[in-house]
Amino acid sequence: MRESTALADDQQSVLPDLEKNAMKKRARARTLAGIVRNKWLYIMSLPGILYFIIFKYLPMGGIIIAFQDYQPFLGIANSPWVGLKHFVRLFTEPTFFMLLGNTLLLFALNLFIFFPIPIILALMLNEVKNKYFKSGIQTIIYIPHFMSWVIIVSICYVFLAQDGGAVNALIASMGGEKVPFLTDGTWSRIVYILQVIWKEMGWSTIIYLAAVTAVDPGLYEAAKMDGASRLRQIWHVTLPAIRPVIITMLILKIGHTLDLGFEHVYLLVNSINRNFMEIFDTYVYTAGMKNGQLSFSTAVGLFKGVVGLILVMGSNRLAKKFGEEGLY
Amino acid sequence: MANYKKYGKMLAAGTLLASSLVLGACGKEDKTATTSKKESSEKVDLHAKADISWSPILYVATAPTDVVEKKIEEATNTNLTFNWIPDATKDERMIASIASGELDDIISIPQTLMTNSSIRQALKSGVFWDVGKYLDDYPNLKKISQDRREASSIEGKLYGVPFQKDFARGGVLIRKDWLDNLGMKVPTNLDELYEVAKAFTEKDPDGNGKNDTFGWSDRNELRYGSFKTLASYFGVPNGWAVDKNGKFTPEFETKAYKETMEYSKKLYKNGYLDKDFAVTSKDDQLQKFAQGKAGIYAGLISITQLKNMAQGINNKIEIVPQNKIAGPDGEYRIWSEGNGVNGLLAFPKSAVKTEAELKRVLQFVNDLINEDVFMLMTGGIKETHYTIDENGAYKILDNPLWQKEVQGFSGSRPSEITYKLKDADPDKQLVNDMISENDKFSQMDPTVPLESQTRTERGTELDKIIIDATIKYIMGETDEKGFDAAVKTWKDSGGDQMKKEYEEAYKKANK
Repeated sequence: MRESTALADDQQSVLPDLEKNAMKKRARARTLAGIVRNKWLYIMSLPGILYFIIFKYLPMGGIIIAFQDYQPFLGIANSPWVGLKHFVRLFTEPTFFMLLGNTLLLFALNLFIFFPIPIILALMLNEVKNKYFKSGIQTIIYIPHFMSWVIIVSICYVFLAQDGGAVNALIASMGGEKVPFLTDGTWSRIVYILQVIWKEMGWSTIIYLAAVTAVDPGLYEAAKMDGASRLRQIWHVTLPAIRPVIITMLILKIGHTLDLGFEHVYLLVNSINRNFMEIFDTYVYTAGMKNGQLSFSTAVGLFKGVVGLILVMGSNRLAKKFGEEGLY
Repeated sequence: MANYKKYGKMLAAGTLLASSLVLGACGKEDKTATTSKKESSEKVDLHAKADISWSPILYVATAPTDVVEKKIEEATNTNLTFNWIPDATKDERMIASIASGELDDIISIPQTLMTNSSIRQALKSGVFWDVGKYLDDYPNLKKISQDRREASSIEGKLYGVPFQKDFARGGVLIRKDWLDNLGMKVPTNLDELYEVAKAFTEKDPDGNGKNDTFGWSDRNELRYGSFKTLASYFGVPNGWAVDKNGKFTPEFETKAYKETMEYSKKLYKNGYLDKDFAVTSKDDQLQKFAQGKAGIYAGLISITQLKNMAQGINNKIEIVPQNKIAGPDGEYRIWSEGNGVNGLLAFPKSAVKTEAELKRVLQFVNDLINEDVFMLMTGGIKETHYTIDENGAYKILDNPLWQKEVQGFSGSRPSEITYKLKDADPDKQLVNDMISENDKFSQMDPTVPLESQTRTERGTELDKIIIDATIKYIMGETDEKGFDAAVKTWKDSGGDQMKKEYEEAYKKANK
């Protein structure tokens, strides 16, 4: 922004007004000609643009209720304005730091434990030479993605319950102490990340597998000629080739920091593990939606959105700094 | 920079325009739906044919067919439109319909939504008619007791006709066949109840030689799980205690509450209470009882459901209800849900425009309490859905058919207490009798009619602090010090404020 204004200032001082106007006119004519020439492309993109305006940008106007005491029967126009009241409430809530901590911790689990797994899995699948075996495995590991969290959490409940749960029965039969998998705070987090891995591991490999197939086979041949083993080939050829994809996925993932899946966590939270598992989404549901406090919920949602935006922009910048392509 | 501002303004204006268009469109639709009624506004004929729309809550899976609806229309001389709201999504649906202004003539507001901040604000700011002064003009509505009117009013105003129900449905259901196997009798006090739970866990009540049973079934909440019922037996006040000077004490600051926690903790530690109760849903809890894992269940009304669930997996099941468990002082007590009120039938001014229209709609609600309509909504059509046998007992003929065509209406009866049916199933009849008997010793919640801003704004969160701490205590995850610390958090996060607001409201109401 600052650069461009500086540039404009420069031009202003160097070029006489007349010539500047002429340049502007020419530039405008060029743009117009460009539009006319590519008119079909523009027309084709119109539905997409309209979609974004109508379904993504216009509803954003609703954000203003975060600064009101919104009452449904009064509507946006008549609800009283309260400034930052709801944000003050959020930040002064005694549970705020607990929520932030839990959210960040679950996010860290997602980032450091879950994120590398699909990459490793894709690399492993890529090394499988038997086509049928490979596509068989792929189909099997995609299936959990299509199950809802309710089903997955219920299955886990059946396995992990203390009374009649298969896992605890096994532990007990070997003379061990029964483990409160579902209520203990730390165990709940472990169960959470295991469930995420089980459900999403296979599906997330798709994009990496696609990237891997785009690697030039000549590179492998050259590496082989130089005597590189399979592991060496993965390390020096495959991984660098899919690095841009990994970086893009990473940035996207970071953007969803505070979106850890309401449904999933809500199903796992209970009275005993709440201090470990309650995150912003679940908190908003009980504190905001259940009590009909739409403004407060919106304020928390806005806060989440802003944090996500900052993180995406930050990580994008960082990626560029390290010479990667980034998102934009 | 100036450009950015302009775009911002345009964006905001565009949004407002778009949203007002959407709202406007909804409003229009609503008008066309109600114009037909406007014509009758000059002279009030309370029994003239009327078009009435109603948003009742659907407590079962599917909406009833129109077989019974037609009969109700005949009996009340109306054309009815039912827009069922599924129980699971009622919060969002209700708020959305208030926001859009698209409201039916009659809105069912369940008790659980009466403390919802948006709904309460809407009630208080006059979106609905204040019907207090009209009730006495109608024979059935006149009979609504003063207690119930008070319990359902907000700051002295009654914004709808209260749904009347029994004061308390609390009690315990116990496996009768297990008691018989062990040679035990139905418990009558807390110690005996404890012994039953113990024997059900340790003495192999089902006689299969395996250690696979336990006493109490329970679930992840205090209110509808076992805890609140046990607390009543111990003499814990229902929510709040209020003394002669108008001083309020929350239930968990009483000695009896701690005694209940101690009792439950002992049950849990010894395995007499479901080890997984903190993560057990209502459905799982019912299943565990029906499958013969657990032998005690809190809540009388579930007897039919439990028997139905046990069909085919546990046919031998015999259940005995018990509502009289004496406390340490020998007294009977049971907590009352909503003080005998289950929400309101409210009439939005945007749909019911004139007083004349209101009077006609009230007449309709009054007619719903007439015996013939009550029977239609309870049992359906005589000899099709139900019958009255030679002993005068009520019996459903075809359960699936009744579920399909009638059951949905039964949750929307404005009064469940005006007529008492004799049930052909002796167990069910026993439960009915016990529920009536509960009236004598039911404990009211003094805060039901009182207004507290804090309660509406953050009640759910505050409750959560105490619920979590109590469950942790029972499971041995925290001790008395930890529990007291949670109580302090509760006070600091708004509990003290809530108490003050209740005391003030109480003073104002009892002047």
